[in-house]
Order: sequence, then structure tokens, then C-alpha cells
Amino acid sequence: MENPALIELSGFSKRYGKTVAVHDITLRVERGQLFGLIGADGAGKSSLMKAVAGVLAFEEGSLRVFGTELNSERAAEPVKARLGFMPQGLGLNLYPDLTVEENINFFARLRLVAPAALRTRKEALLAMTRLTPFRDRAMKYLSGGMKQKLGLICTLIHTPELIVLDEPTTGVDPVSRRDFWLILTQLIQQEGLTALVSTAYLDEASRFDALALMHNGRVLAQGEPDSLSQRAGARIVRLHADRSALTALATHFAQLETHDDEARVYVECDDDLQAQQQVLEVIAPSSAQSLSVHLPELEDVFVALLRSLEPLSASTPHWTGIVEHAPVSGDNGHAIYAAKLTRDFGDFRAVDEASFTVNYGEIFGLLGANGAGKTTVIKMLTGIVPPSAGIGRVAGADMRHAGQAIKERVGYMSQAFSLYTDLTVKENLLLFAGVYGLEPPLAEERMRWVIKLGGLQGLERTATGSLPMGLRQRLALGCALIHQPRVLFLDEPTSGVDPMGRRHFWDILRTLAHDDGVAILLTTHYMREADQCDHLALMFDGRVVADATPAQMKADFSAEHGQLLEVRSTNPQQVLSALQAAGFAQAIQHGHHIHVMTHEPDTAVLRIRAALAAHGLADAQLVAQALTMEDVFVQRVLALESSHRHARARSRV
Amino acid sequence: MLRPSFKPTMRKLALVAAAYRRWGRQVMAIIVKEWRQLLRDRALLSFVIFIFSLDILLAAGAPGFDLHMARLGVIDRDHSLAARDLIYRLRAPYFDVRAVVDDALVLERLLERGQLRAVLIIPHGFERTLVQARQPADLQLVIDASNSNLAYLVTSYSERIIGQWTATRQSPVAVATLRPGGLPQVRLQIHTRFNADLRELWFSTISELLTMITVASILLPAAALTREKERGTIEQLLVSPLTPLQIVSGKIIAMVVVTLLGSAVAIGVVMHGLLDVPFRGQVVLFFAMVALYAMTCAGLGILAATFARNSGQVGLIVLLLVMPIILLSGTWNYIESMPNWLQVLIELSPLHHFVPITYGILLKGADAAAIALPAVKMTLLGAGFLVLGVARFKRQFR
Repeated sequence: MENPALIELSGFSKRYGKTVAVHDITLRVERGQLFGLIGADGAGKSSLMKAVAGVLAFEEGSLRVFGTELNSERAAEPVKARLGFMPQGLGLNLYPDLTVEENINFFARLRLVAPAALRTRKEALLAMTRLTPFRDRAMKYLSGGMKQKLGLICTLIHTPELIVLDEPTTGVDPVSRRDFWLILTQLIQQEGLTALVSTAYLDEASRFDALALMHNGRVLAQGEPDSLSQRAGARIVRLHADRSALTALATHFAQLETHDDEARVYVECDDDLQAQQQVLEVIAPSSAQSLSVHLPELEDVFVALLRSLEPLSASTPHWTGIVEHAPVSGDNGHAIYAAKLTRDFGDFRAVDEASFTVNYGEIFGLLGANGAGKTTVIKMLTGIVPPSAGIGRVAGADMRHAGQAIKERVGYMSQAFSLYTDLTVKENLLLFAGVYGLEPPLAEERMRWVIKLGGLQGLERTATGSLPMGLRQRLALGCALIHQPRVLFLDEPTSGVDPMGRRHFWDILRTLAHDDGVAILLTTHYMREADQCDHLALMFDGRVVADATPAQMKADFSAEHGQLLEVRSTNPQQVLSALQAAGFAQAIQHGHHIHVMTHEPDTAVLRIRAALAAHGLADAQLVAQALTMEDVFVQRVLALESSHRHARARSRV
Repeated sequence: MLRPSFKPTMRKLALVAAAYRRWGRQVMAIIVKEWRQLLRDRALLSFVIFIFSLDILLAAGAPGFDLHMARLGVIDRDHSLAARDLIYRLRAPYFDVRAVVDDALVLERLLERGQLRAVLIIPHGFERTLVQARQPADLQLVIDASNSNLAYLVTSYSERIIGQWTATRQSPVAVATLRPGGLPQVRLQIHTRFNADLRELWFSTISELLTMITVASILLPAAALTREKERGTIEQLLVSPLTPLQIVSGKIIAMVVVTLLGSAVAIGVVMHGLLDVPFRGQVVLFFAMVALYAMTCAGLGILAATFARNSGQVGLIVLLLVMPIILLSGTWNYIESMPNWLQVLIELSPLHHFVPITYGILLKGADAAAIALPAVKMTLLGAGFLVLGVARFKRQFR
């Protein structure tokens, strides 16, 4: 018998006034599935989830949850009792002044959970999320990741059969994100839950049993994550080549990512050899080195789908050469020089002797979990917050004494979208041109340049609030660039932006840094973006704990922990227990894949194959994978966290 | 020998001028932005339009110091000619006389429900006592004093009317027998200046305008600054080469201009045009003073915004500021009747200094010299608020 559908949508549409939020969606979520809705801000995920949770009326189509047609508020009532809904926003449904336990108790009473049942369930959930030690702490003092875990407990306290989680991991760092997913997966398996979860992070896609890619209120594709990549009928060809060869590739292939001399080419061809052939027809085989063919990742597929909808609005931007390349004297040509930079907020040390340098023409990524001190570092270097101790020099001048003049050499884009949404594109640009004191003719020239750079032609009179996220961020970048600064600070510039928008944004960043010598310091939670930086610094607990190029970081990590092996199976749970039984205690489940780190890949492969065969799991595939920045980041932070805990435990003794 | 030293001075001057022009351009960018935002904020814009137009009109129609058609119940137990004559005098437009059943319970109920403002009881034998003139004839007036202002008006109007009526009752014969030259009398010659007809509308609309200028010039800059904090746009301004003073001045200047425009409409169109309120002084002097006052209040608004985290809070703080400013200003009450300790505090109310300026220029046609003292006090107060506001604005991001 077919697995019964828990959620069924057909021809579903939702409008807000004239704006169509969701258009003609047909979806099916089966019992026991972890179903993902993936898309950028404004894709229509939230409207869809609110309708499923029975809190939003809709115009067209049908929506059945638990087999009940949700066509009136009365029909939705019995359904609501059987589901849990966690709205978007970090801890927005929780009460900041109540403690962890009080929050849980409140939601339990709201759901009429019997006191005895509440006691056991609360303990179980607290233990599972490792929040037990924090039960008396007020919610407002929890970290982002902990808030989301508390939100999950409150959603689950009445033992629902279906949970609807709207972007539970947005704004949460990769480590807490991975933790959240592990807990969620575990809960789904233990309780036979069904979950509808949305996310803006494409790298989380492999964690879902099935997913739908959403854009502008439509579903572009849906299915199992692996089958989506296979069904795309395309290959990724990776190779190293010189600059002229890369330029040739760029003219032939619309979807191409380059980093230094390395290129990832998206070839629309369903065969490894033919795909390779197509690339080698464009460039001479001799100029291509270490060429390899892969299945596309979900992000590649998504970008390809988006590209078919709306071709890139702007060509690759080129700097007009207005910035003078005259190096700024002092600091040995360093654009940013931070030495033992420290900032205390009362008793709390947010940044602890952070030291690093950034050169002109370099994209420098500052990584770290929420609360590691990244934003405070940026605020100190831009002069918003004065340091408690240490030196921060930007463009050759000390931020503390340089006064207003230094600010003209610095551009800044803050974490939240910080333009005036009630002003038009042109009015925002006019404002910042004025703020930087540009004379009218120069202001006019710069505005034309920024509009071209950001691909904002034709949108000059559009209210900023009605622009999609990707364009808004490009405009924000434009406003930060209007005075053509030598140093640019970007705090999580691409969060909530669709993958194509992110790529376009990075094209601009690379042009600025590599062609025009602007120094860029940015923070990001997207580990794919961290990979694209020229240099990375990892922050933990206010300190800089690693400082190297991405390649160097991965190499160091490999030397320490070995090679990454990935086991793909339709039965990941059994594979995991089989591997753990065979002595691979460090094996980690990653959606349908199991990751194992090993120093001796050859013997490990044999041991894994043997273990799988012994458990009748011979159909599983075993692949040697390249390390991703996320692997490195998560492992490093976890190791630091555990040594931190040990150190603290020792100091207490 | 003079030339070489002259040239560098010129160059220096040009540099200074360029720096000032740049300073101005930066502030202008903020001003234009504030106007655009206000024009697109429908709620705030409707509020501003309302307080400078309809609200002033409403104030013109609001009841105040004149007694008009107060419902007066009359119980006539005398049924005499004199009683009827007296009742006839207590008539429209001051009183709306209604006959009432002679029943204590009914009377009580009517007063309780507010259907009557007062009840006049004419006792049995009223006319006889009056004519015999051996002793005063008693009348009883029961007044609902829950609204003490209205009760006071009913008292004074009825006393005056009854007093005049009594004078006509003093028969010329009786008076003549007392003394041939008649009774000693004082005749008071009242000469009202600045508002000859004692038109209450002049006073109430000007008072309302003063209140609204105060509200607008505190609220608008406070809201503009809080909105930036709320949305996080303030950070983008703080990393720019703008000084905190420039950010604050941009907002203040933009909103002072809005307040000036609003007052011009309120005075020119609504008060002078529609309601015939006079404008006797110099127009330029008056609007210069409005600008000065708006800036003083704007300093308070900026100060308020540094304490608020969001728009809701700033609204409450502004309310907390506006109420004492108005109560301590002497707009609606007499300063002389306040307790002594309060009379010291009033110096801190900017409106207290602005009240004599406005009435002076509008109604008395006062010139600059006549209003110099309050103007100077107001300027000092405003400078204090601004310095405090900008200092706190700088500090709160540290």
C-alpha cells in the first residue's frame, strides 16, 4: 500500500492584495518524511507553511492535512491540535524574560498537557537537546542555537504528529545548525514524526528525505535530493587552467564558477565523457590540468533552473577604474591591521586580543559561531564601537584617533539590511552620495556606475522595500561603495539571498578586490562562500584561533584527521550503526550520507565494505570526498568547545 | 609686502568655505531624506496635517468660558408673578429652562444622570417676603458641581442675572423715601484691550496651536531618530563621515521646516482666513520665533529618542514630556495660582516662555524688544536641551 499522504496540496495559491505570494503549487508530504522547502527570502515558503499550520487563509486550490480539507477556520481547529508550528525568527515565539523551563511549561499549559506527562516529556526533551543545565536561565540570555532548540522543545511538548518549522536554522552558525539537524533527525526517527521544514541554506538540502525548490512563489523542482541532481541531466567539470582558457570557458558556458586558476563548469550533458569532451572543445586539452567530472550539486541545479527563468540581468561588472591605485603609506601596505584588539561589555569580553592583517586586493573571511565576536571586530574597525584595548588600524590610520576623515576610505554594510526601504533606489543613492559630501556632477557619475555595477538599470524609481533580497543587497553594496572606499566591511552580506543572487554578488566582490585592489573583510555562515575567500580567520570565544588560506586550512585539517569517506545509502540509519559497531565511532550522519574521517583510506575502505556486507548493506556506495569548508569549520569548533569545557572544568577544580 | 601674506589667507578662506559647503551638502542630504520619508509615512503625515488644520477648527468650536444653554430645572412653589418674572430672566442663550416635578427623588435622579446642570427652587411665599422687604427672600440653587468649571459658570451667571433683577424690583417709591438723591452707586467702566469683544475663540485657537506646535516639534524629530535605531539604518550613518551633530541637525532642521509650514497653514488659512483671529505683529518676527521654539522642543525630542528603543516607547516618552510642558506653561491656567515650588519649575517649560511671545505678537502686536526676555530664556533652554541630546546621542552607541 502506498504510504499515506499527511499533507497534500494541489493548485494552491495565496495572494496578499495584488501580490501573489504562492502560485499554483502541488505538493505531497508522506507520513514519516522530513520534507524540505528550500528557497530564498520571498520565495513563498512562509505563506505555504502558515497555511499548512492552519493559521493563514488562501484563495485557490485545495489543502489537505491529516486527510482533512482545510477550507475553514473550524476545519483547521482539530488539525491544529495534532501539529506543532514554529514561526520564523530566532526565538520570536518565545518569551525572553521567562526561563527555559517557564517557556516550556507555558506552551504545555497552552496545549493542555497533563502535568505527569509534561514532567517526563520535558526531562526527555531537555536531556536530548542538552539544555538541562540551562533550565533556569532566562531565554534572552541563550545563544541563537540554544534558542532554536528551546523553540523546538516548545513545538514538540504536546507530542504532535506533524511539525512545521519555518527557517529554524537561519542566522544560526554551522555548528549549531548541524547540532539542530542531528536532534531533529533523531526525534523524527524516535517518535515517527513528520516534519515540514524550510531553509535558505542549500547545503542543508541533503538532510531531507524529499524537498521542493521554491522561487518567487513557484516550485521549480521537487523530489529526493539525490534524484534531483541526477535528473538535471548535467555534469560539473572541474579543472585548473590559465586565465585565457578561463575567459574562453566563460564565453561558452553560462554557468561557471572560477576561483584563482580553478574552474567549475556546469555542462548540460548527461554523460561524463561527453561533458569532458564539450569542455575540451573550448580550450586546448594541454591547458587543462587535473580535470574531473562530477554530478552537479543541488545548488548547481537550482542555479541552472533559475537561469532558465531569468537570464542574468547584468553582465560581469567591470570597475570603471575611478579608484586610484596609489598604495596608502604605512603599515607595510596592510589595509587592515589588528593587533590584540579587545573589547569588553561590562564583565563580558566579546573580543579577546584578536590579531590579523588584511592586504589590499584580498577578500578576507571572518568565520565563527554566533557570539564569537565577529560583528564586534567589524564595529571596532569601522569606528562604531571603540576598542577597550589593542590597536586597530584601517587604511593606515588608527580608528580611535583618525576621526571623520578615515571614514571616507571605509565602506560598511551592516548585518541587517540597512537601507531606507521607503525610499527608491535612486533616492537611497542620492542620500549616501550627499552623506559622503560628493559634488553633484561626481555624485551623478558615481550613481550611474553603481547602478551598472549592481545590475539595477530600470529600477531607479522602485521603492527599495519591494526589491527582491538579491537586488537589495547589491544596492546596499552600491551605497557602501558610492565614495569608492579602499577598504570594505561586509557583515553577513548574502544571508537570505538566492544562490544566483549570491553568485552575482560574489562576482562583484571579486572584481573589486582582484582587479581594483579593494580590501574586503566579510563574515558569512555560508561555508561555500568561505571557500571563495582568499584568506580566512576563524574566531572562537572572542579569539582568533586559526588564520590561513582556505586550502591551507583544509590541508592542515587533513593532516590531522585524514581523508573524508562518504557512504551513500537508502538506509543511512543501519549504515551508521553498522559502521559504529565496526569501530568507526566518529562516523557522522549527514542526511542520507554517512561521513567517516580516516588516516588510512585504503584499509578503511576495505573495513567499511566488510562491515556493510556483513549487515546486508552491500548496495551502499562508498566515495572518497574532498573536504568542504563546513567539515573543517564544524570539527574545529567542536574540538575547541570540548577543550574549552575541559579547561573550565579544570579551573573549577 | 602685503601681497604674499594675503594670498595664503585667501586660499585658507577658500578651503574653509569649501569645508562649510561640504558640511551643508551632507546635512542637506539628510534633510531631503527626512522629508521624503515623512511624505511616504501616511500615518505620521495624516497626523501632522490633522493637528494643523482640523484640530484647530475643533478647538474653535470647543466650549470654554461662556455659559451656553445650560439645562436648568425650576421648581416653582410660589406660583407668583414675581416668580414667573424671575424665571423669564433665566433664559436662552445662557439657560435652557425646564419645569420639574416637585419631588426630591425625581430631582436627585435628574441631577445624577446629568439631565440637569442645576435646579432652582422658588419657595412658597417668595413674592410676599420680597414685597414686604423686611428680610431677604430666599431662593435655593442646587448645582451639579462634578464639572467645577461649569458649576462656577452657572453660579456666576445666575448670581448676576438675579442681582440685576433684584435691582429692578427695588421700587422707585421705596428708594425715594430713603434718600432723595437715590442710593449710592458705583458704575464700573470696563475697557477690554487686545480682544475687545472678549472672543474666546481667539484665545482657544491660539492655545491649541501652541499645544500642537509643541507636540509636532518634539514628536517629529524623536520619531525620525527612533525609526533609524529601530531599523538599524543608524549604523550606516555612523560609519559615514557624518558627525553626530550633522545627523541630529539634519533631522531637526527638516522637522522645524515641517512645523513652520504647519503653523503657517494653521495661522494663515484656518485662524486668520476662516476664523478671523487677528495677526497684529510682524509676520517675519513671529515665524522666526516659531522656528526658535520648534528647535528648542526638537532638542527635547532628540533627548527623548536617546532613551527609547522603539517607536512605541518614544510615543510614550513624548507624551510624558508634553503633558507637564503644557500644564506648566500657563496656557490653560494661571501661573499666579500655582504653588510656589511649581512656579520655579515652570521656567523649565519652553512653552512658558513661548506663550507671552505668541500672544504678544499675534494679539498685542508686540515688537522684538517687547519679547526679548522670554526669547532669550527660551534660546538658553533650547541650547541646553540640544547639547544634552547630542551628547547622549553620541554616548549611547559606545
